[in-house]
Amino acid sequence: MISRRNALKTSAGFAAAATVGAPSILHAQTATLKITTWGGKWGDIMKATVLPAFEKEHKCTVSADQAFPFLPKLQASKKNDPLYDVFHTNSNEQWSALTEGLVMDKFTTKEVPNIADVYPYAVSDKIVGVTIFTSAIGLGYRTDKGLTPPKSWKDLADPKLAGQRGGYLIPVNSLGQCHLMMLGKVYGRGLQDLDAAYKALEQLKPIKLVDFTGQMEKMLLSAEVSEGVIHDSGVYRYEGANRQPVDFCSPTEGVMALEQVLNVPPGSKLKELAYAYIDYMLRPDVQKLLAEAVWYSPANRKVKLSEKYDAKLLTTPERVATLIQPDWKWYNARKDDIDARVTKILKG
Amino acid sequence: MSAVPNKMPFDPGRAAYVTLNVVLLGFLLAPIAIVLVFAFNPTPYISFPPVGVSLRWFDKFFASSDFMNALWLSLWIAACVLVLAVVIGGACALALARGNLPGRGFFTAFFMSPLMLPAILTGLALFQSYLLVGIGRPVWGLIMAHTLIAVPYVLRTTLAVLHNFDRRIEEAAAVLGASPLRVFFEVTLPLIRPGVFAGGVFAFIVSFDQFPVSLFLVVPKGETLPVVLFNYMKFDLDGAIAAASMVSILLALAVVLVLERLIGLKAYVKL
Repeated sequence: MISRRNALKTSAGFAAAATVGAPSILHAQTATLKITTWGGKWGDIMKATVLPAFEKEHKCTVSADQAFPFLPKLQASKKNDPLYDVFHTNSNEQWSALTEGLVMDKFTTKEVPNIADVYPYAVSDKIVGVTIFTSAIGLGYRTDKGLTPPKSWKDLADPKLAGQRGGYLIPVNSLGQCHLMMLGKVYGRGLQDLDAAYKALEQLKPIKLVDFTGQMEKMLLSAEVSEGVIHDSGVYRYEGANRQPVDFCSPTEGVMALEQVLNVPPGSKLKELAYAYIDYMLRPDVQKLLAEAVWYSPANRKVKLSEKYDAKLLTTPERVATLIQPDWKWYNARKDDIDARVTKILKG
Repeated sequence: MSAVPNKMPFDPGRAAYVTLNVVLLGFLLAPIAIVLVFAFNPTPYISFPPVGVSLRWFDKFFASSDFMNALWLSLWIAACVLVLAVVIGGACALALARGNLPGRGFFTAFFMSPLMLPAILTGLALFQSYLLVGIGRPVWGLIMAHTLIAVPYVLRTTLAVLHNFDRRIEEAAAVLGASPLRVFFEVTLPLIRPGVFAGGVFAFIVSFDQFPVSLFLVVPKGETLPVVLFNYMKFDLDGAIAAASMVSILLALAVVLVLERLIGLKAYVKL
C-alpha cells in the first residue's frame, strides 16, 4: 500500500520535474522561425513591432539574424537543415543562392496569397522569390555646395566633382553593380555593354568608394562627397525633423531597382510558417508601417501611404514603370571577370 | 666665489631616442585620440573638426540593449577564455618545456598554428564543423573558438618565462621534501605567474576584440560587441561607434591596470 508520505514525495518529484522541464517542453511546442533581416532603422521597427505581432498571431518565435554575411552562412549550412527558414537579401544574392539550389524560384498565390496584389516587378522574371519593397537607385547630392542639381547619370562625371563624387566597391555592393550596368546603358548599347561601362568608369576617377549604402549616406551628410550613387531611401529618410542639405535625383535615363527580396530555402522544416511570414510582410498594414519608417516603396499595389511618402515613393504604376531591373543571372555569371576588371580600374 | 653650474652637454643620441619614443607613442595613441574626439562630437556622422562636446553617443551606447547585451556577453566570454587559455596554455607550456617530448618543435608550432591562419577561415571552418556535427552555434562553441585563438598567446609568454626559470629552486624544494604538486603550486607557479598572467591579459583582450572568428559563430541576440559594432556601422556610422570604442579601450586598460596591481606585470617585463 502506498503511504501518504511516499505519495507526497512522488508528487513533489513530479512537480519539480515538470517545473524544470517546462521551458524545454514549451520550447519544443513553439516553433522558431529563423530569418535574416537588416539592421538600422529597419531592424529597430522589425524587433519592436513587426516581429512581435507576427509571433503573437502565429504563436511562434522569430529568431532574426542581423549579422552579415548571410549567404556564406546559408551556403555553409546543410541543405536539408538550412540555417534560415526565410532568406531576406537583395536580388543579386538571391540569384546566387538559386544557382546553388539554396532558395526557391517562385511562389504562387497558394503559398503566399498576397502575391496576387503586388506590382509586376515584384514577381518578374528578373526576380527569384518575391520582392517586398524596392528603392530607386539614383544620385544623391548636397544642396548647399552651389552645384547644379543633376539630371542625368552623366552629370556624375562632371570634372567639377573630381574627388567629391561617391561610388561603391563594385565586387561587394549591388548598388555599385547596378551603377556599372547603368553606365553601359548611358554610354553604350545597353545594360550589358561592359566595354562602354568600363570606359565610363575610368572617367569617374577620382571617386571615393564605400561598401554599404549607410556609409554613402554619411559621406553625403558630412560633405565628404557632394554627389554620389545612392537609393532614394537613403536621402528621403532625412526629411522633416532630420532635415539635412541633401536631395535625390531620379536621372532621366531611368533608375535601377534595389529590391528587398524574401525567399525560402527548399530544405526548411518550417515552410508553411515561412510562407505565412512572407504573406504577412506583404500585408498592406505591415507594408505601410515599414515603408513609412524607412522610405521604401511597397510592392503591394493596395498600400495607401501618407501624403508625404506617397509624393516621393514609387506608389503608382507610372512611377513603378521607371524602374529598371537588371539581369542578375547574366551579371553573376560574369561576376569574377567583372570584379577583376573594376578592381584594376578603381584599384579598390 | 660662486660655483659654476654643471651644464649637461647635449646628447644627440639621447635626444634621438626620446624623439623616436615620442613619435612611436604618438603613432600608437593618435588613433585613440581621434576616436575620443568623434565620441564627444554631437554631429550624427563622423566628421572633423568637432563642432561641440556632447555625451549623447555615450548615452545612446549605454541606453541600447543591443550594445549592452553584447558588451556583457563579450566580457563574460573573455573572462571564460582567460581562465581556459591560462589553464590549457600554461599546461601546454609546462609539458613542452619540461616534458622532454619527442617532436617538441613540431608540437610548439602546432599549438601556435591558430595564429598563422587567417582568423576568418578558422571561424568559417568551425562554423561548418559545428553544423556538420549538429551542435548548432552554442555559446560554449564560441568560447572554445576564442580559446583556440587565445591559447598561443599564453603558451608563448609562459614558455618565455620557463626558458629563464632556474630549476634549481624546484630541485631544492623537492630535496627538502615537497611533493611535486606542492613544488608546482608553491614554487613553480609563483615564479612563472607574471608570464602566465601576461598571456592571460592578451587572451582576454584578444577574445574581447575578436571579430572574424565570432562573425560566423554568433547567434541572434547572442552577438558579441565587435560583431554588433560591425553591423551597426553598415547602417548608422555615427558617434555611437566611437563611444563604444572608447568604452572598449577603457575596459581593456582597466583590466591591465587591475592585473598590474594584483600580480605586478612589470616583473614579467623585466625577464
